[in-house]
Amino acid sequence: MTKWLRWWGLGAFLVVVAVIGLLWIVFVDGWVKRLIENAGTAVVGAQVELDHADLTVFPVGLTLTRLQVTDPQAPMTNAVEVARIAMGLDGLNLLQRKVIVEEMSVEGVRLGTSRTTSGAVKPVQETTADEKGLFGISLPSLEVPDVKTVLQHEELETMRLIEDLKTDLKQEKAAWEARLQDLPGKTEVAKYKERIRQLKAATKGGLEGMLSGVEEVQSLKEEIDRDVQALKDARKAFDEKIALLKTRLEQIKTAPKRDIQHIQAKYNLSPQGLANMSQTLLGSEIGSWVHQGVAWYERAKPFLEGAQAMRSREGGPEVQKPLRGKGVDVHFPEEHPLPDFLIRLARVSLNLAVGDLAGTIHHVTSDQPTLGKPLTFAFGGERLKGVNAVTLEGTLNHMVPAQSRDRLTLKAKGYELADVALSKDAKWPVTLQRGLGDITMDATLQGRALTAQGSSHFRALQLSAGVSGDTNPLTRSLSSALSGISQFSLAAEVAGTLDQYDVKVTSDFDRILQDAAGKIVNELAARFGDELQAAISAKIAEPMKQVQEALGEFHAIGGDLGDRFAQHNEVLNSLLEKSLPSKSLKKLPGGLKLPF
Amino acid sequence: MIKLLAKLLRVLNSETDPGQISLGLCFAMVAGLTPLLSLHNLVVLLLVLVLRVNLSAFLLGLAVFTGLAYLLDPLFHSLGLAILTAPALQEFWTVLYQSIWWRIERFHNSIVMGSLAFSLGLFVPLLLVFNLLIRRYRQHVLAWVQKTRIMQMLKASKLYQTYETLSSWRPG
Repeated sequence: MTKWLRWWGLGAFLVVVAVIGLLWIVFVDGWVKRLIENAGTAVVGAQVELDHADLTVFPVGLTLTRLQVTDPQAPMTNAVEVARIAMGLDGLNLLQRKVIVEEMSVEGVRLGTSRTTSGAVKPVQETTADEKGLFGISLPSLEVPDVKTVLQHEELETMRLIEDLKTDLKQEKAAWEARLQDLPGKTEVAKYKERIRQLKAATKGGLEGMLSGVEEVQSLKEEIDRDVQALKDARKAFDEKIALLKTRLEQIKTAPKRDIQHIQAKYNLSPQGLANMSQTLLGSEIGSWVHQGVAWYERAKPFLEGAQAMRSREGGPEVQKPLRGKGVDVHFPEEHPLPDFLIRLARVSLNLAVGDLAGTIHHVTSDQPTLGKPLTFAFGGERLKGVNAVTLEGTLNHMVPAQSRDRLTLKAKGYELADVALSKDAKWPVTLQRGLGDITMDATLQGRALTAQGSSHFRALQLSAGVSGDTNPLTRSLSSALSGISQFSLAAEVAGTLDQYDVKVTSDFDRILQDAAGKIVNELAARFGDELQAAISAKIAEPMKQVQEALGEFHAIGGDLGDRFAQHNEVLNSLLEKSLPSKSLKKLPGGLKLPF
Repeated sequence: MIKLLAKLLRVLNSETDPGQISLGLCFAMVAGLTPLLSLHNLVVLLLVLVLRVNLSAFLLGLAVFTGLAYLLDPLFHSLGLAILTAPALQEFWTVLYQSIWWRIERFHNSIVMGSLAFSLGLFVPLLLVFNLLIRRYRQHVLAWVQKTRIMQMLKASKLYQTYETLSSWRPG
């Protein structure tokens, strides 16, 4: 038996295992560090850096020191910087490549810290800085534009309609003149009269002679009837055309009013410009916040659902997509399934400029369908610098990826506002010097359908607006109105999908501004409107005269058609009256009924 | 290549028991054909070191079978997938899947399963075949090989002599 055993081999085995273990201990920290940095960088799209990673074996745990996540849009800034992350790991699960963290402590989270080197991994799209301030106010124009200059650059709807009508009138006139040539006229009437005279002469032979001419009378009557019908149809078509042309002329008469409204709106001289200023000013700002939130959400979403999302949840063995040279993993039903990555509980402390916030996050995993629990989080802080109390709660539920439902609620009470530039407009700067706000926001994302409602009430406000020596009546009036505002409410609503959403903002701020400036803007608008009215009237006077003259020329055509119709009717009556020996026939009992 | 050939010849020409050489080659087959960083290869390493297996044969075989494994991967994948998805074995695999140690072994990977089944299946037959071939070699071919010019050249080479000297220091 001893022939087949060598006891020193056992020692050699232990040495080999020890060497492997030693190498692992020496190099694993660097390996984990690189793994986190590479995976994080790929996910975020900007550099993720770690100062140090320390993996301990007894007990199995991992401590990360100074994790920096670069903001992809601002490579010289860290979106998040974490001083220390410590976690205890499930060692056995780790051996089968499952990272299960029972509890994690995340300390010293800071947002928006500066970096010494750029963390860009790809070129950053340049975005122009918004110099308008928080509320980029663009006020209605305060000067009445020069009407002559305006009209030189404007394409008036009135002029376009006049030109179109003029062209059509010309074409219609030519068409009707051509049609008149084809319609029966005086020549035909003369011919009919001559034929009637001849018929009359032929019927002088009494009843016998009259009966022999019946066929000829019938034929003549049918010809005249056809002509009368043709003239009747032409007259009807003509009347319809004239009615249409007159309607167009009436439309032209109202067109200048529309032109004036359009120009007033274009030159921002409409009092409606102040009616929903909060939407105009804050809508894009809130839309930009939503856009940023959506961008971060889209980055995080694949990790909430993970690879398991693609797998069916039935009990049979499941084969993953094969990798070349690596084979495929065949999965079998598990009694206690666990995702590949799970943090059951993370305690997070955030060091923000306003103070420290603390919170917990439950069930952070790359595979919610397997875990069967949604990610939940809750953060809060009280008596912070600049805000009395703030809470942030939410749920990210991707247990069934096709029916995901995420919810976020933010409440801030006593949020102090100080020296906030609402408008950096040189002509009319607006600064919120002091104020307190209570803000509530509730957002829900169901699949890709986004709905969010926000309401806020600002109080104890002190606003300053305008520049000294301002001579503009509108800005003076607005400045005065704003100085008197001590509180206002604001409501925002976001609805749509992640790709396309609408932001609606309403505020009593609008009413205050409209009350203050509406009268002045109305006066300016009225003055501009009057000037425009006069200028447009002068501009269209001659073309309108030409149109009316052109339309008047159609009276002659109409008269001609009427005359022809009357003449043909007269001939027809004459035929019926004169062709019949009425006296003798009328004496017959019951008269004579002709067979036509 | 010369070093590899010299190794092979030395092993075959030595007084080593054919069984030790065959066993070394068969263990090398298991370790070489299956993914090297597998739990079962730790057991193979332990057996190779504790049992009086010819280490040169093991190392030589490991190099050869590892190279061969790349060519046989498609076969191992198909075989492993067939075994893992065989309806009759589902219950068995499901039981193993609940054990963390078996999961660490990654038995549910098609290449691990295919290559392990393949190498274990061939273990005993190959052991017997290798044994037979070594005996036949020593009986019929060894004397002729010793006289060949290539063997003379090899024996005369400095590399071979150095190798011989170093090898003689090595135990069993």
